[in-house]
Amino acid sequence: MYPKPLTYRRARTLDEAFSFLSENEDARVIAGGQSIMPMLKLRIASPSLLVDIAPIRELHEIRMEGNEIIIGAMVTHREIIESREIKSNIPMLQETARHIADVQIRNRGTLGGSICEADPSADYTPTLLVLDARVTLKSAKGERTVSLDDFLVGPFEVDIKQGEILTSVIIPVNRSAYSVVKYARRAADFAVASMAALVEKKTDGTVSDIRVAVGAQSDRPLRLRDLESELTGIKPQKRDLHLAVEKAVEGLEPIDDIHGSADYRKEVTSNILKANLGSLIFGGDSK
Amino acid sequence: MTVVNIKINGKKYSDDIEDRTLLVHFIRDHARLRGTHIGCDTGHCGACTVLLNDRPVKSCQILAVQVDGESIETVESLEGSDGKLSIEQEAFREHFAMQCGYCTSGFLMMTHHLIREYPELSREEIREKLHGNYCMCTGYQQIVDAVQDAQKRHNDKKS
Repeated sequence: MYPKPLTYRRARTLDEAFSFLSENEDARVIAGGQSIMPMLKLRIASPSLLVDIAPIRELHEIRMEGNEIIIGAMVTHREIIESREIKSNIPMLQETARHIADVQIRNRGTLGGSICEADPSADYTPTLLVLDARVTLKSAKGERTVSLDDFLVGPFEVDIKQGEILTSVIIPVNRSAYSVVKYARRAADFAVASMAALVEKKTDGTVSDIRVAVGAQSDRPLRLRDLESELTGIKPQKRDLHLAVEKAVEGLEPIDDIHGSADYRKEVTSNILKANLGSLIFGGDSK
Repeated sequence: MTVVNIKINGKKYSDDIEDRTLLVHFIRDHARLRGTHIGCDTGHCGACTVLLNDRPVKSCQILAVQVDGESIETVESLEGSDGKLSIEQEAFREHFAMQCGYCTSGFLMMTHHLIREYPELSREEIREKLHGNYCMCTGYQQIVDAVQDAQKRHNDKKS
């Protein structure tokens, strides 16, 4: 399968990329290509101009700035898995990257590309939502930073304007106890249900901070903010957790498709939330 | 159209190609190296796996223009100049790690990469590393046997 005929331009600097993008309204950015190539081949997308941002050096950087890590859009899943800075400062992100697709895709696929594809069952987004990540978007006119929660609009839709490029992801350092679960039929598949959670407890067992997000359960990954507020500031019992989970899952509207019916997806979500939030809150193996 | 220069198995291939040309088509149709196969053509099966700057990638998911100036290794690079099979090929032959053989070149390139990247892998780890390669004849037991054997041969040769 060939993509439709297109013109390819390689940008060496951001300014060059902005100028290529401004030449053509129909232009799309290509990073690692592991999301857009399948779309081009299936002709779901058929831009007449493809602007490759891979040569732009600043997009490959991982750096600390105060209490935050800034990861360039072109950083690959493999580089996230191998980064010492990420391992020691946001281990949860590294754990998430380990389960993306397969070795070959992880060698090419990028953080920025995956976020911009905005697949509702993508691996990174639940994790990045609980980490309160923000994304930086640059264009010839300037730059803006938005929370990932605002950036994700719907299925395969993000708040990016023509001419803008997602250049980096900003993530506050977080070493809290976490859980990342991807439930898929086969390991390299997209998730049928997924969750990411962080929990901070006081020494007496009171939950001081809990953040939970689920993937593949709606038109975009979601933070479960009601569940979070119900369990914060208390020493929850198993019953409290189960009730909060059931209430949260009740409100989800996952798709019904060949990978799993809506009911099945909700059932799996309920089970993985109860088991894994249980382990984080009550400690040990309370599954 | 764009003129690209891609080094494949140490040899330079240059051609004026359509920008939409996939790397796997460049390898098969322009460089005329037919060992790399097109399986699913959707990025799942791994039959088109080649090494790009020593790392395995799926050549049906990359445009040839994206790797202009880079180095590729395909399954043709494994066999010695004297026609002797490589240790990966020997191991696959000995364990009969193929039935129809269509997926084999992808598995061989993964094996070539894995035994150099990791000194030791358990059967479970080998299976995890091979998630991106499908064998529709489902001869996975023998493939895992062959990877383990290739790893042993590689380590023995080094020591």
